[in-house]
Amino acid sequence: MLLPALTPDWSGPVFRYVLEHGLPFTLKIAGTSVVGSAVIGIVLGTLLTIRFLPLRGLIRLYIEVWRGLPLIVTLFLIVYALPQTTFHLTFRPWVGAAIGLTLWGSAQVAEATRGAVESIPREQHEAASALGFGWVGRHVHVVLPQALRRLLPPLVSLLVNVIQNTTLAALVSVTEVLFAAKQQVERLAAPPPAGLLQQHGFAIYAAVLVFFFVVSFPMTRLAAYLERRLI
Amino acid sequence: MRPLPNLMSLLASFEWSFIWDNRDEFLHGLWKTLQVSLIAIAGAFAVGVVLGAGRAHRIPVLSQLAAIYVEVIRNTPILVQVYFVYFGLSEPPFNIRLTAFTAGWLTLVVWGGAFNTENFRAGFEAVPYRYREAGLALGFGRLKTFLNVTLPIGGRIALPSSINTYVSVLKNSALIGPAISLPELTYQAYSLESVSFRATEIYFTLAVIYLVVVWVLSGLIRALEAWLALPEAKHVRTRQQRLWQAV
Repeated sequence: MLLPALTPDWSGPVFRYVLEHGLPFTLKIAGTSVVGSAVIGIVLGTLLTIRFLPLRGLIRLYIEVWRGLPLIVTLFLIVYALPQTTFHLTFRPWVGAAIGLTLWGSAQVAEATRGAVESIPREQHEAASALGFGWVGRHVHVVLPQALRRLLPPLVSLLVNVIQNTTLAALVSVTEVLFAAKQQVERLAAPPPAGLLQQHGFAIYAAVLVFFFVVSFPMTRLAAYLERRLI
Repeated sequence: MRPLPNLMSLLASFEWSFIWDNRDEFLHGLWKTLQVSLIAIAGAFAVGVVLGAGRAHRIPVLSQLAAIYVEVIRNTPILVQVYFVYFGLSEPPFNIRLTAFTAGWLTLVVWGGAFNTENFRAGFEAVPYRYREAGLALGFGRLKTFLNVTLPIGGRIALPSSINTYVSVLKNSALIGPAISLPELTYQAYSLESVSFRATEIYFTLAVIYLVVVWVLSGLIRALEAWLALPEAKHVRTRQQRLWQAV
């Protein structure tokens, strides 16, 4: 009864296009940048706890720059400015977007990791040292496994934020979900044979909002639950 | 093997005079960014205080509606929100045509207001009940107790997290420009690049301007925070502060 009202005739090709062409890019960007952010962020955040000033200064700078810049400016720098420097670094747009999101995400994870590692009591470090672990062994086998527990809620939040921010790739012409939806809105508004001369922007953008909400909401709940359970 | 150019030679290869010749574009953009951000920040403050109070004091209906509003906004990308407001609402069934400027600050108010509702809710809830009891015992009504007791104390507890939200509002104005052709700083840079193709100089300058604005703002904020902080609130960590703020 409700289904025909929710799926008018024009909506089938729109759904198919967005899911077949848009979704893969959203998933590729989100997957790459979440993994990249977690790995780089945990390493940098752990290194940030070392009391060696030049190293700390460098990592601080990295964090403050990528957290301070609006994400879209980072994306423009990577996708449009880097190819023109003397390095001539050119990426495919979705790779550029993933790199930008990774820089931003790793800065967030580094900051969270520093807090998590510093929250591990000193006795744990001392006990590990007494057992003969060096710095690396101490962190890999003793400190980080404990810190990761506290890192779990921020990592889930990061995943949510990264998924939402993949939409920024639309502004550097990556055909992700939002860009694909916009193309469909414009196609439907065009005269036949390509379009139908119909305006469905309201419905389509509302559907995109619903899509992101359905994906994000369970994960935000999970992050809040983990936060209550683990801390 | 060709030697790798180092960063200094990269900077030296820029044509800085190009930026100087087009300084008006950047300044107009920056002015527009500040305009949009200030309106949005004022609006987000108002929304946050009203709905945060509604949430903290569990005012029926308002509290539930505010909770839904917060979850919807926090779980959807701001870029989709601005497309919806600017491109979606202008079509049937609503046919509300907004200018890019109005759509821009409106989206930022709605977005910042949602995060601020949570900030202020946490702040107001952190005010010990005995303070409010004292206000009520002095003969203040509920509204007066809120204005004279809960707002000054809870507002200051919520200050750090709400200010983070305001910085995020300013940073988010950067993506609204290119999305709906609102001539703020990023859009100005973007359109300057599309006629001159000097991407390196333009985006490098753009990044430096944003970093200066954001860093100066953060510095001022820390000073303000230290000045306004309640003596006993200096170490209060509200739940919101631990939760992550979106960009």
